[in-house]
Amino acid sequence: MSKQVPRDAYRAIEDIVGPDNVSDDPALLDSYSFQWLAELVRPNRSHYMPRPWAVVLPGSTEEVAAVTKVCNKYDIKVKPISTGWYHWAAPMKDDEPTVQFDLRRMDRILEIDEKNMYAVVEPYVICAQLQAEVMKRGLNLNIIGAGCSTSIVASACAYFGGGPSSYYMGNNSDNLLGQEWVTPAGDIIRTGSLSSGCGWFCGEGPGPSPRGVTRGGLGSRGGLGTYTKCAIKLSPWQGPPVLEPKGPPPGYRLPIPDNFRVYTIGAPDWDAWANCYYQIYDNGIGYIFHRQFNLAGADLAPAMWLTYIDPNKTLNDVETLAKDSEIKKITEEARISFQFVMQGNSIDDIQLQDKILDEILRQTGCYKVKRFCEPDMAEFTNMYMQRLGHKHCNFIWVGGYMGSWMQPGTPDFVKNYVPVAIDGFYRDQKGHKLVECGGDAMMGCGSTIGGGGFFGLEQFVSYDPNDNDSIDACVKHMEDAITDTTANGIPPGKELLYLQIGWTDEKIWDAFAKMPQQFVLNFQRKIKEAFDPNSLGDRNYPWLPEGYAQRSKAAGSSSQQKREPKRKLASK
Amino acid sequence: MDVKKQALIEIVGAAYVSDDQKVLESYAADCSYTPKRRPWFVVRPSSAEEVRDLVLWANQTETPLIPVSSGPPHFHGDTVPGAPEGVVVELTRMKAIKRIDRRNKMVVIEPGVTFADLEGALTKEGLRISRPLQPRANKSVVASLLERQPTLIPRFNYSLPEPLRTCGVVWGSGEVAFTGEAGNGPMDLEAQWKRGVAQIDPKGPNATDLMRLLTGAQGTMGIVIWASIKCELIPSVHRYAFVPGEKLEDLVDFCYKIEHVRLGDEVMLVNAAQLSMMLGDRERKAQLPPWTVIIGLAGAALFPDERVKVQELDLGRIVQQCGLTLSNGFPNVTSAEIARAVESVSAEPYFKFKSCGACQDIFFLTTLDKTPVFVSSVFAIAQRLQYPIGDIGVYIQPQHHGVSQHLEFSFPYNPADRAASERVRQLYDEASRLLISNGAYFSRPYGSWAQMVYSRDVDATHVLRTVKHIVDPKNVLNPGKLCF
Amino acid sequence: MALEDFRADAMRCTRCAYCKWIPFDLMKSARFAKGCPSMEAGKFHSYSAGGRLVTALSLMDGRSTVTERVKDSVFKCTLCGQCDVSCKICRYDMEPLEAMRELRATLVKDGHTLPQLEPVIKSLRNEFNMVKKPAERRGDWASELKVKNLTTEKAEYVFHAGCRYSFDGDLAHITRAWVAVLQKAGIDFGILGKREKCCAGRAYDMGYRDEFDAESQHVLKAWKKAGVKTVITPCAECFQTFSRKYTAKSGSDIKVVHTVQFVKELIDAGKLKLTRPVHLRVTYHDPCHLGRQGEPYIPWNGKEKKIFGQAVCYEPPKPKYNGAFGVYEPPRNILKSIPGVEFVEMERSRESSWCCGAGGGSHEAYPEFSQATANERLEEAQSTGADAIVSACGWCERNFIDSANSRGRKIKVLDIVELVSQAL
Repeated sequence: MSKQVPRDAYRAIEDIVGPDNVSDDPALLDSYSFQWLAELVRPNRSHYMPRPWAVVLPGSTEEVAAVTKVCNKYDIKVKPISTGWYHWAAPMKDDEPTVQFDLRRMDRILEIDEKNMYAVVEPYVICAQLQAEVMKRGLNLNIIGAGCSTSIVASACAYFGGGPSSYYMGNNSDNLLGQEWVTPAGDIIRTGSLSSGCGWFCGEGPGPSPRGVTRGGLGSRGGLGTYTKCAIKLSPWQGPPVLEPKGPPPGYRLPIPDNFRVYTIGAPDWDAWANCYYQIYDNGIGYIFHRQFNLAGADLAPAMWLTYIDPNKTLNDVETLAKDSEIKKITEEARISFQFVMQGNSIDDIQLQDKILDEILRQTGCYKVKRFCEPDMAEFTNMYMQRLGHKHCNFIWVGGYMGSWMQPGTPDFVKNYVPVAIDGFYRDQKGHKLVECGGDAMMGCGSTIGGGGFFGLEQFVSYDPNDNDSIDACVKHMEDAITDTTANGIPPGKELLYLQIGWTDEKIWDAFAKMPQQFVLNFQRKIKEAFDPNSLGDRNYPWLPEGYAQRSKAAGSSSQQKREPKRKLASK
Repeated sequence: MDVKKQALIEIVGAAYVSDDQKVLESYAADCSYTPKRRPWFVVRPSSAEEVRDLVLWANQTETPLIPVSSGPPHFHGDTVPGAPEGVVVELTRMKAIKRIDRRNKMVVIEPGVTFADLEGALTKEGLRISRPLQPRANKSVVASLLERQPTLIPRFNYSLPEPLRTCGVVWGSGEVAFTGEAGNGPMDLEAQWKRGVAQIDPKGPNATDLMRLLTGAQGTMGIVIWASIKCELIPSVHRYAFVPGEKLEDLVDFCYKIEHVRLGDEVMLVNAAQLSMMLGDRERKAQLPPWTVIIGLAGAALFPDERVKVQELDLGRIVQQCGLTLSNGFPNVTSAEIARAVESVSAEPYFKFKSCGACQDIFFLTTLDKTPVFVSSVFAIAQRLQYPIGDIGVYIQPQHHGVSQHLEFSFPYNPADRAASERVRQLYDEASRLLISNGAYFSRPYGSWAQMVYSRDVDATHVLRTVKHIVDPKNVLNPGKLCF
Repeated sequence: MALEDFRADAMRCTRCAYCKWIPFDLMKSARFAKGCPSMEAGKFHSYSAGGRLVTALSLMDGRSTVTERVKDSVFKCTLCGQCDVSCKICRYDMEPLEAMRELRATLVKDGHTLPQLEPVIKSLRNEFNMVKKPAERRGDWASELKVKNLTTEKAEYVFHAGCRYSFDGDLAHITRAWVAVLQKAGIDFGILGKREKCCAGRAYDMGYRDEFDAESQHVLKAWKKAGVKTVITPCAECFQTFSRKYTAKSGSDIKVVHTVQFVKELIDAGKLKLTRPVHLRVTYHDPCHLGRQGEPYIPWNGKEKKIFGQAVCYEPPKPKYNGAFGVYEPPRNILKSIPGVEFVEMERSRESSWCCGAGGGSHEAYPEFSQATANERLEEAQSTGADAIVSACGWCERNFIDSANSRGRKIKVLDIVELVSQAL
């Protein structure tokens, strides 16, 4: 039962943002508590995360700060959301009144510095908008794996930041320049060159970088205040100033300019695949690098995508096409494949990159997947990869998708867990409660950091959110994945992060206490004490209570039983 | 025997504890204007455990520790004790190259590994790192990267700390923790390597970027006991091109264009004074154009020669668009000489000292379009103070793919000439103040810059003091630096 | 259908928020990236299609009740269908537009109506039009025209003017112009004049299903009596209502064409020649009901089935209605074939067109919102440098004229027939 908040708090917020920009209407609140993945962790498979106490639409940093101060006075948690996709974005606990900041009124591109290659944006500027603007200026930006509908500020300041173009353009963590942060205490803090009054262009320093407090591998996911502006580094774009897609929906096609190449590359086995990645890193060719189409499952991906690009076809046709003998051949050819886009500074440059790629393929035994390199599929691939506006296809089968695995590391590291993940997924599909797309529905960037070398492959588990048995099957898969990873000595993947949303604080802390290094969790506790003295940020910003690890060890608490591994890793 | 000395001996061994006056004197001052202060001891640990024990001891006894990894000379005041009774922790014994991983192009080294050591070892594996301009042979690679010294190859510079990735750290509290991907455990590098992890991702762990709290910290947050560093392939074809200009303004657009498309490996913009310093001969200044963009065109891995040729073609087009000329060298100064100047380690004791015996540097970050204005303002002050502007070295190093530029002014002078020394000191002080007030970003606030920077930057001061209080609650690590 | 029939849609919504934007692939600027007028006005997530799916779920689950806020979020929407197009870029199993219509119908059925719409519905019931005018005056626009009266004569084609074109004095010249064009082409057609009745498509969209059913029966009966085989209409809403809603609900097999389609065929057949130059820079606004909602009707009566374990499809396959096959090219081809016309495209065009703001009852219930939406479109039109915004729907034109006048915009608002007439 949530504690009662005096009505004065609501009125105080109205006084700041205006009555039109705050609401506690129950149905309206439900539109915020309803979140994808809630059904995996909430009691009775509910699709609703906890309801906010109110939703507030601030129009400026000052309004965010002022409302946050009101929340401090009345002990109301603060949870910002911009485009807001994931159960992380919702309030976390039923018994904590929470103001959900919906930042959609803060949607301005404040500056594009074309020469110095950065843009300054507010939280509701999405990647697609900024990309459309900067492409006119010969620039581009890293669009994260969740697609171009996402907030740049969120990915750079508060979430992860890796995407198919990170290989060339860098992770949005590294692309983050100056930023503006409203702490849970309601203070406005700026970082980098911005705080020194020198403009937005640098994210580091002065001295040690305060931005090190605001995000790491992940950001605080709304659990440590609100990011209200950031500057983001841009990258070169040698394509047309405006994208001119062709064709009816859904499979828009983007003609490929002469200085670009768009391929789907196949590998005969995972060793060859890893070798190919390493050679690409060594040679430094490529612009966008991603294993995208495999999200539909290697057993069905060619049937799916060749259906998708035909405006007259529906998913019914995938079933037919999957049985076609030609498609079966393509399916095997594309089984271990990825998408690769190259951009040339000139025709000479792209021709050389092509030559280098051909030699890499020759040396590694990899090849171009012929059907996917034909104009229709290649242009569709180009559209998909450049704008990343089809990321909702993650849900194409039935509306539910959960990404498991995705432990990040080198290609050799990833190659070793892939067979375990594949076997496990085949096993979990046998109950017919998950989409039976084959064991390999693994998607992932060629690298989530610039220059290559680091990424993970995420298993796309498609389930029906309208069917509790299917949801149960997905949760079981997640638990089985944790077992498989534990048995094979791999850190757990995304599935654990998702499941933790439904855990009690104590269960989360027990897990933290077992981690090899608690330093950062204790550090984060102290940061929270300093910047969030009234604890208004939720546990998306993780921390460990003082002395918990020691007490936990002393209590000897461990309920995990050792289970036999389903499949051991291949030996190195 | 002194109680402290005894404790230190128990940690590192008698042979590695010194309170010899000459030794202490050598750490009491450096080439900067930082006020002199002698430490009480200099210790030389050999292992992470010894470093940890030193830090724990320092916490117990509230003794300042000053980490030093490089050999002399030191320039920025960060190795001069800022508080009394300090102990210099000199890390030069920790000089293991723990692992060179060719496949993942990573190297893991201890803090005492110098550029000379590292480059020798990496070369055998066909690897190199993007590194600063003419580092001293005895300069610690880890220290250089921690201090975000600008590196020469902008296209590899995905972030300012590159190519530094993860670190093992003894924090000011005495706790040992790894940064980045390494912080996910296990807490043993061998175990991580066995698992197939290569300490590549610098971010994290979790929601904190611990490595970023260490960079630019002048040893105030933690002592790094190992670091993983990204390597690149050694090019098998490597040529240089030069684009001269009469004025800096003439070259700005050109630099924007080549940096925009990430053309070339080494890219820098220098004036004649700077280039002559790099060449080791001040007299050659007259043979050089007033300004030069130096571009290294490199081909590694497959088809290296063609890679360079394509870059040359692309470069030629841009040069033409900008109405400039492309050069393969200058009369009396060959391309090979300049290449050596770019790629070599510094002559001893330091290349900037060769002409006059000493040199002061002012450096900061800015954007390329602002560089001419900053250059003009520094030259104006120099002129007023009667420092010969023709002697001022100007070095512009693109960073972060060209988004920011390291702009560095060098003022060589004869330290034996009191008037000249005083002039340079005044120039240093006045120019620094003016530059800061005009928006120059002193992202590495050494010495007197610290007070100038932090007195204007309330947010950074607040956050950093909070962090410092967490990771080094007793302020034992290099107190008196930055805003601590 | 019932709201419960859309429970699966609501449960399978992922809150991706694609419904707030035009298809991302088509974005050409930050300025003209948004797709949902309702979100621009209401701002909270519940004003989006995804948000309304949750509202429906929340109401069905008894987690909330219908409040003024709920009504505002449900009805302050033109039902333009942009959300539907964007959602279906990646989904084959979602029908957000139909779900939103069903939500409205449920609210109306349960008595949660908007007082602002009462007079409009009363006008429909009593005067068979949705513009609150006396039925007697419906045929006045044709009083001086020599055209067959289908209450007493027969013809193959009926020209159905629609309420807006019948009663709006500012637009009557357009209605007459279409008649003149058809006569010039020698087409055998007639009109029902004052006996013409509202298609009631707007009533359907407002949630008044019973009124729609009753009205549609009147209309079909009149056509049958007149022996009509094909309906030609200049109104996009009527076009969509007849071709989709009538055929779906009443199984009508009468062919329906919009005047732009018909005239394009006439031009192709050589029966009309556009030879006189018209020197004007124009941009074309796709009416929602002619464009993305103007796709041909495909009869379907099937049910959900699962393949590959859990993947949802339908038996028989369900028509997609994702805006791919709307009536986009005929009006463009007409305009481009007029000598002297310089045609420029707005950024949001075809299936990604920004709505005029008139539909779904918004014009009647939320005039400020309706006008703000129109203003946004005119802003976009003016950004192309066009002298005129050309459309093929009386509701669009009405809204644009009002918006242009109230803000002093210089851009002309024209119907396509005005340029065709000048070019003949």
